[in-house]
Amino acid sequence: MFARFEVAVRPEFSDPHVQSILRKIQMVHPAIAEKVRWGRLMDVCWIEFSGPREDLIRAATEIFYDRVLQWMFSGNLIPSATGKHGGMLDIMEAAPNRPGKFWALERRFRGGVTDNVARTAAEAFEIVLGKKLPDCRYASGAMLLLEGDKLTEDDLALIARDVFCNELIETWTVIPESELKNNNRFHQERIKGDLPKVLFRGSEAVDTVDLSGLSDTELQELSSRKLWALSLEEMRAVRDHFNRSEVVERRKALGLEGLTDVEIEVIAQTWSEHCKHKIFGAKVNYSETSADRAEGESSIPSEIDSLFKTTIAGTTRELSRPWLLSVFSDNAGIVAFDDDDAFCIKVETHNSPSALDPYGGALTGIVGVNRDILGCGLGAKPIFNTDVFCVAPLDHREPLPDRLLHPRRILEGVRRGVEHGGNKSGIPTVNGALVFDERYLGKPLVYCGTGGFMPRMIAGRPCETKEIQSGDRIVVIGGRVGKDGIHGATFSSLALDESSPVSAVQLGDPITQKRVADFILEARDQGLYRAVTDNGAGGLSSSVGELAQLSGGARMDVSRCKLKYPGLRPFEIVVSESQERMTLAVPHEKLNSFLELAERRGVETSELGEFTNSGQLEILYREKLIASLDLEFLHNGVPRLELTAQWPGRPKAPVASGTGGGANSYEAQAAATLIGLMARPNIASKEWLIRQYDHEVQGTSVIKPLHTVNPGTADASSGPNDGAVLKPKLNSDSGLVVGCGINPKLSDVDPYLMAQSAVDEAVRNVLCAGADFGRADSVLALCDNFCWPDPVKDPAKMAALVRACYGMRSAALALSAPLVSGKDSMKNDFRGKLRGQPVTISVPPTLLMTAVAKISDIRLSLTSDFKRPGDLIYLLGSDSFGLWGSEVMATNSNLGYVPMRVAEPDWNLARKVYSWLGGAMGRERSKLRSLHDVSDGGLMVAVAECLIARGYGAQITLPPGRDPWEASFGEGFHAFVASASEADAFNMEAEWMALEVPFVHLGVVTSSDRLEVTTASGAAQSARWSTSIKQVRSAWRKSGYWE
Amino acid sequence: MSDTEKAKVLVLTGDGINCEQETAQAFRMAGFGAEIRHLNDVIAERMRLEDLCRRYSVLALPGGFSFGDDLTSGKVLGLKLSHQLNWDLNVYASRGGLVLGICNGFQALIRMGLFGKEVSITSNVHGKFLDTWVKVTPRGSQCVWLKGLGSLDLPIRHGEGRIVIAPTRKSEVLGKMQRFGMDCLQYEGDPNGSDERLAGLCDLTGRIFGLMPHPEAYVRWTSHPEWTQQPGRASAPGQGLAVFENAYKEAINAK
Repeated sequence: MFARFEVAVRPEFSDPHVQSILRKIQMVHPAIAEKVRWGRLMDVCWIEFSGPREDLIRAATEIFYDRVLQWMFSGNLIPSATGKHGGMLDIMEAAPNRPGKFWALERRFRGGVTDNVARTAAEAFEIVLGKKLPDCRYASGAMLLLEGDKLTEDDLALIARDVFCNELIETWTVIPESELKNNNRFHQERIKGDLPKVLFRGSEAVDTVDLSGLSDTELQELSSRKLWALSLEEMRAVRDHFNRSEVVERRKALGLEGLTDVEIEVIAQTWSEHCKHKIFGAKVNYSETSADRAEGESSIPSEIDSLFKTTIAGTTRELSRPWLLSVFSDNAGIVAFDDDDAFCIKVETHNSPSALDPYGGALTGIVGVNRDILGCGLGAKPIFNTDVFCVAPLDHREPLPDRLLHPRRILEGVRRGVEHGGNKSGIPTVNGALVFDERYLGKPLVYCGTGGFMPRMIAGRPCETKEIQSGDRIVVIGGRVGKDGIHGATFSSLALDESSPVSAVQLGDPITQKRVADFILEARDQGLYRAVTDNGAGGLSSSVGELAQLSGGARMDVSRCKLKYPGLRPFEIVVSESQERMTLAVPHEKLNSFLELAERRGVETSELGEFTNSGQLEILYREKLIASLDLEFLHNGVPRLELTAQWPGRPKAPVASGTGGGANSYEAQAAATLIGLMARPNIASKEWLIRQYDHEVQGTSVIKPLHTVNPGTADASSGPNDGAVLKPKLNSDSGLVVGCGINPKLSDVDPYLMAQSAVDEAVRNVLCAGADFGRADSVLALCDNFCWPDPVKDPAKMAALVRACYGMRSAALALSAPLVSGKDSMKNDFRGKLRGQPVTISVPPTLLMTAVAKISDIRLSLTSDFKRPGDLIYLLGSDSFGLWGSEVMATNSNLGYVPMRVAEPDWNLARKVYSWLGGAMGRERSKLRSLHDVSDGGLMVAVAECLIARGYGAQITLPPGRDPWEASFGEGFHAFVASASEADAFNMEAEWMALEVPFVHLGVVTSSDRLEVTTASGAAQSARWSTSIKQVRSAWRKSGYWE
Repeated sequence: MSDTEKAKVLVLTGDGINCEQETAQAFRMAGFGAEIRHLNDVIAERMRLEDLCRRYSVLALPGGFSFGDDLTSGKVLGLKLSHQLNWDLNVYASRGGLVLGICNGFQALIRMGLFGKEVSITSNVHGKFLDTWVKVTPRGSQCVWLKGLGSLDLPIRHGEGRIVIAPTRKSEVLGKMQRFGMDCLQYEGDPNGSDERLAGLCDLTGRIFGLMPHPEAYVRWTSHPEWTQQPGRASAPGQGLAVFENAYKEAINAK
């Protein structure tokens, strides 16, 4: 029988979920929001139940119905669970306007989309009824009930499209009041029709593809139509390989005539830019039209043999640190934490899926990178997440090109995705950033990072061991395989356009993954498997294809895969990116224990075959061979790209249009400029976002993303911290520090500088929290993530990439910080239409650097807030700032400063300052009371951020000999705002002088509410201004901009 | 005292529970021996209430997102405990056992009806998940876990922490709770819209205790958001530890 259950919060209680939807309607369609007088959000569940009616009633009542809070409607099934009338009339009577005019909007998942609520409902029914119920089906959805006499059906449709549904994964229906009142929707036939069906009339057929007779145009056309994303050269290489007589003969002997669709799909996944990083492996010819270089820039060679080898792996090799246990050969870099434990770090991007479905894209992004960590070495426990989002400004008002979502929707979805992915997995989200730029409209950038921790010896083997023996069983565990995410890897290797496929979208299931994660760590400690890796991009073709290299071959029958629903073609099973799956190599003698433990942990397994040493990746379907690929060809047969890079030189420095003269205009405008900067989205408070993430679970938190004064009281007030500190071990006072750096604004000046700035900022952020630096036992590792507009066939963008790589290399070498892990995303362009006209939007070249460092004693951690009135304030490090590419340049063109300059790094200076801060020299560092880096918005913003939480004031004198605009709001390298008690200041200053650590005494913390600033006496014209910190704080907390 | 002689805590895990490690650690710091066990193993072992009473002084349900909180928080975990273990926790308490539910574990205890059928818990009034520190104050002396404690700073990390009492019987139910000291922990502020600013509840015996804040996340001073204001105390314990120490004293007495 079929049943439908609707659950509503009783009218006596407020309904926060509907309030949140109404707020979103208000932001997107204020005119419609005006018409809504009242609303309720109801959960809906559709069930096909194959048991006695009494069982259904008993279980449904226990599972769905909370007598205190809810009403439940079920047609005539369970009268006791309803209000007076037993249905929607009860709610209508409870609405404040009677008789009102009602509409409802019903939302259902499309067939085949992951439905976590339904999956949990299925488990709940089995728990309550105490038996397996394999023939029951469940689906979840929601019904938004709105009351308003002026609402129209068209309004409801707009709400559905722009607020309530994502039509890629959900369908919706508008239900008028008359239909709500009758109970037709509870009729058996109706429910049967409403339950999503997945009836793919797929066959189990394997097609063959004949490339031999195809012209170049036909090859390209075929590749693009099939979403293989293979270039002409790559198509030719495949064709030629399979035309070779020895290959033809060998295949004939195996019974394989032509190239199968399975084989070409596996090749396409393996060779995709996403998996193979062909641009970073390419031969590059680099030239510069203009000779001007960044100061101290080492020249970039004109012929580069792989940017990856030279600037990333090469950099790490040159630095060769003893604590690097595994780099670039695994899912994540592995670094020794101490003699007993190791940590690993990986940051991924999930840009294309997040553009189409922000929630699902970001959710799969975060749980996906968690799996990288679980599949790193012998398996590490995720101990923190990081998230960095780059989106267009949320107040974007221009019309959107077809198929693009408004940045507000993107950010809300992405935020919720990371919230669910991180919080439900029990992994604290400790660090991140939010960057706004108009050019992220076409593709938002969603960076998700995870750090892991593991013992260095696991069941008798070093944790970084990656080995498989021929004969080990191939076992896939976790989620089942469906059509979701087919072609994700190749799709993300293409520009986004209007025809991007819906199958690229997937939803994650954090609970299935949590079970998988718990199980893996348990099986790991019992030594039940030999090797593990995650199933991410490319699905089985990548995970088994890559692991096969360890033993020298693999043979699997994919008909043994557990499927979500029938009708998948064999090639689809091979390349599906269905989530929550890990692939393991299990020794024969451990197989039974492994499977038995998985069963006890509620983790599904599919045993597919075995690893071999045949040199082939062999795939079967129902015991018939459908693919036999030479591993050597598969992994090394891709033709190498040759790319041209031409750097046109830096643009001319902009000339400020202002008429005002230096200090005068400064005195008049500085306070307003500061307030304006504090409210800039790139600078303003991210507390609304941070607090929706659990940043303390696992109990390791030492320094949080925010410092908070008077916590738990009405006066609680927070300010930003720079890096996070965790204490991963109970019995050790050593900690891990995490920070990041990202500065795409500078890409418009010079990507070389942009990359240096990202490295410098990431390192400064961990130093601010207390990281060791420059000591014999210091551990500082970097992770790079490049998100670029497509540089192939665009020499300027390629040159930007080359310059960023060399800039990153120079900074990493200068700071002795090896690159241990990274990922690139090279197709961040949107090609579509705006009002019928073609439009292309490309992201600015964006490099995220994530730094992870060790702090030998967490008790020396620091936060950024000034602690006490009377403490002295210092500018520590560089005092050279520039306005070009700064936040203030974007807000105020009336700076009266001609022309603008950009600050350059001085790594000698940096090493001195950082070594003192990192405990490598001197004795006074532990007396610092606060430390904060000078970044977006410059020195005055940094000082204001140190004051915001406590509401103290400060008297500041700007460093002498500098233009006041530059000194106040310019941005640069190596600068910190520090504070110390007056009593400690003398010794500290003496030590700085002795150790040549540059510093400027800026002033003093005061107990007043005012920030008072003067330019140095003796300057040609001195200026004086002040502002209220309360005002600064309220600007920074800028409300109403986001949800 | 050897591990085998120590008063023992059973810390349940599995199905999305995720604070089991730090919860077990807090109990160990207080003197207990703590065993983290997967719910499925306890079920497979058919552990009866008598076994629980004999082997463990404390049953702890840690925080997390059991079953993804997909059908409201703690719901399916509560069903699983009720249907597959079928322990009468009131009997466990009456025989000297102690029960602690933190956050998701507390939500599950509420759904199981341990604090009465008129009490439920639902989405924060602002509709958002919230990670912040709160001040909570114990009320009365009924709850053995809070004996002698003053106001505490603790973190909350939840989306569904609003405790509600059936409106039709609210004054009656509240009156009973106050009379028996069940309303044992209150927020000083109002972070989630909870009725009577309730942060935690105990049963009539004071031995079954559940709370939304996380005492296990504040067992060292360096977890507190303001610790860098007083770095000299960096090695000091956190206030949350006292909750576990109270349980230890009680468990030793019961032995």
